[in-house]
Amino acid sequence: MLDKITIETHSLTKIYKTGKVEFKALNNVSLKIKKGDFIALMGPSGSGKTTLMNILGCLDRPTSGDIFLEGLNLSTLPDSQLAEIRSKKIGFVFQTFNLIPNISALKNITLSMIFAEVPRSSREANALEILKKLGLEKFTRNLPSELSGGQQQRVALARALANNPSIILADEPTGNLDSSTGIQIMNLLSSFNKEGKTILLVTHDASLKKYANRIITMKDGEISEHR
Amino acid sequence: MIADIFLMSLDALRSHKVRTLLTLMGIIIGISSVIIVTTAGNSVSSFVQEQWNIFDPTGILIGIGTATDPPRIAFTGAVFTNNDVKKIQDLPHIKNVAPVGIVPIRKISIREGILKWKSTPGGTMYASTSSMLDVLKLEIDEGRIFQEGKNEIVVTKTTTELFGKDKPLKIGDVVYLQRIDSKTLKAKIVGILKETTEGNILTQLTTPSILGPTDPYYSTFIGSNVGSILHRITAYIVLYATATDKENVDKAKGEILDYLNSGASDASKYKKEKYDYVIVTQQYIIQRIDSVMGVINMLVTTIALISLAVGAIGIANIMFATVTERTREIGTMMAIGAKRRFILQMFLYQSTIIGLIGAILGCILGASGSAFVVQVLNTYLKDLGGTAFTGSINLNFSIEWFGIAVFFGVLAGIAAGVLPARKAAKMDPVVALRYT
Repeated sequence: MLDKITIETHSLTKIYKTGKVEFKALNNVSLKIKKGDFIALMGPSGSGKTTLMNILGCLDRPTSGDIFLEGLNLSTLPDSQLAEIRSKKIGFVFQTFNLIPNISALKNITLSMIFAEVPRSSREANALEILKKLGLEKFTRNLPSELSGGQQQRVALARALANNPSIILADEPTGNLDSSTGIQIMNLLSSFNKEGKTILLVTHDASLKKYANRIITMKDGEISEHR
Repeated sequence: MIADIFLMSLDALRSHKVRTLLTLMGIIIGISSVIIVTTAGNSVSSFVQEQWNIFDPTGILIGIGTATDPPRIAFTGAVFTNNDVKKIQDLPHIKNVAPVGIVPIRKISIREGILKWKSTPGGTMYASTSSMLDVLKLEIDEGRIFQEGKNEIVVTKTTTELFGKDKPLKIGDVVYLQRIDSKTLKAKIVGILKETTEGNILTQLTTPSILGPTDPYYSTFIGSNVGSILHRITAYIVLYATATDKENVDKAKGEILDYLNSGASDASKYKKEKYDYVIVTQQYIIQRIDSVMGVINMLVTTIALISLAVGAIGIANIMFATVTERTREIGTMMAIGAKRRFILQMFLYQSTIIGLIGAILGCILGASGSAFVVQVLNTYLKDLGGTAFTGSINLNFSIEWFGIAVFFGVLAGIAAGVLPARKAAKMDPVVALRYT
């Protein structure tokens, strides 16, 4: 059986300009990600991993090159459509959790449903179900500040799952957690992968390699190793 | 979606209660000062109107003086004759005209026995024709009006009590009036005036206690400048007229001036060159008061609107700070699918909500503040001595200003939010996510 391609890029290049100085963050990156892949994107700081993740996550546009998501050419789409793709097809998980501080855990999850235009009537039930699945049913009404780091990251995972996306992009999701909590989070990501979600994990931590089925290492904006 | 954005904005405001409250204060103070100023202005204005409206709005005072703006009547030099009174009465838009001869009374005496007299200092007598009652809007409570050429007078209730409340003067009683030229005239009381709070320009100046016919009580004579023979002609310093109705006051005024200036009038013969004819109408006075009140109102409203603008700048300031502070949240929201439009609306709603709530609270505070201000004004009014005014200032809200205030409050909120909200919506999510 031919594996289904979820994301495909052709010679992606990203150049940042600060005044007259140009910085090539990505150089000719071509890559295919199959549905159900668990990719660990590794490399030193400044190697371009986060830039690549941002472009794959429709947050940023390449300076040149093309990117296709499920066959759709993203480089030609307007901002509002990219936002729609982010809300429906992609789930983001950040190192610093990035929960909205003034609203409850539950509302953090329903918020992304608002962006995906999920009808109000089904939002709360869906969100509760996801929270329950992640063992957070006790914390639905708590503000993020009332939760531990691990709990916050689990809420963030729940938020990433809110609209049942096909791809989850996780940027150093365990970077701010102790190792045992980190393992919990990685196990959850693993379980999402087993349910069929494509996972792209950006990390420094070599010990996380074992969760991935593919490892892409970057250096100076280029893919240096791919296995 | 709009409801969701609205609720999100409310959440954001609720999570920064102190900040929201302080920002609200700016708008609340602005709006409430607009309300207080306009309400107090409105209340005082209608109070003043009432004060003058109890006077006859058709009233016209005719005299000589300087016809400047405002006109000045010089209460000197009797120039209007009975012939003038008659001619003015015949003008098309004049309802009534009465000469007003002011006769200061030195002493009022009654005879208590054959050789026993009792005296009291007198007041002011208005010598006129019987049309005076109508012109001055006075009514007889008891008895009848005096007859021309007879020694008859009409008095106020207060005058009847001059010789003691226990034995008031009655209709048919005879008193002796000593004028300041020492001439004493007999007078029979034929009528007693109804007590009234109403008045007119003239009664506001002096309150007549006795009304009587010009003949025999009034005797200001002028020397005719026709030849060298001194004619003895009765003449008056001022005349008081009423127009046929409120709308015709200006027409009536024009007709009077035309007549007086025509040369056909006796007044034109006796008036000194340096004086002009001066006609003061009630409406002129009301207009003057209105225009003064208008200027004061405009001035203070401008100040109040400036304070509202300051409030709006306060909102803009805090919104910019909020947007900067929430940069990473904005980035996160964009990452999880928020469109730029959503971010724009979220911040715009926040500032609009502040404007709206500020306006509503400002209206409430303004309404109670106005009540307080009016109460304070009324206290001062009493301290000034209640005799000059009747009644008190009533709280008179100008409803349209509540509408205008809410409108401007919301407008200030929107205007203050536009730039910060645009700044938020235009953020690059990648940069925003990196913000620390």
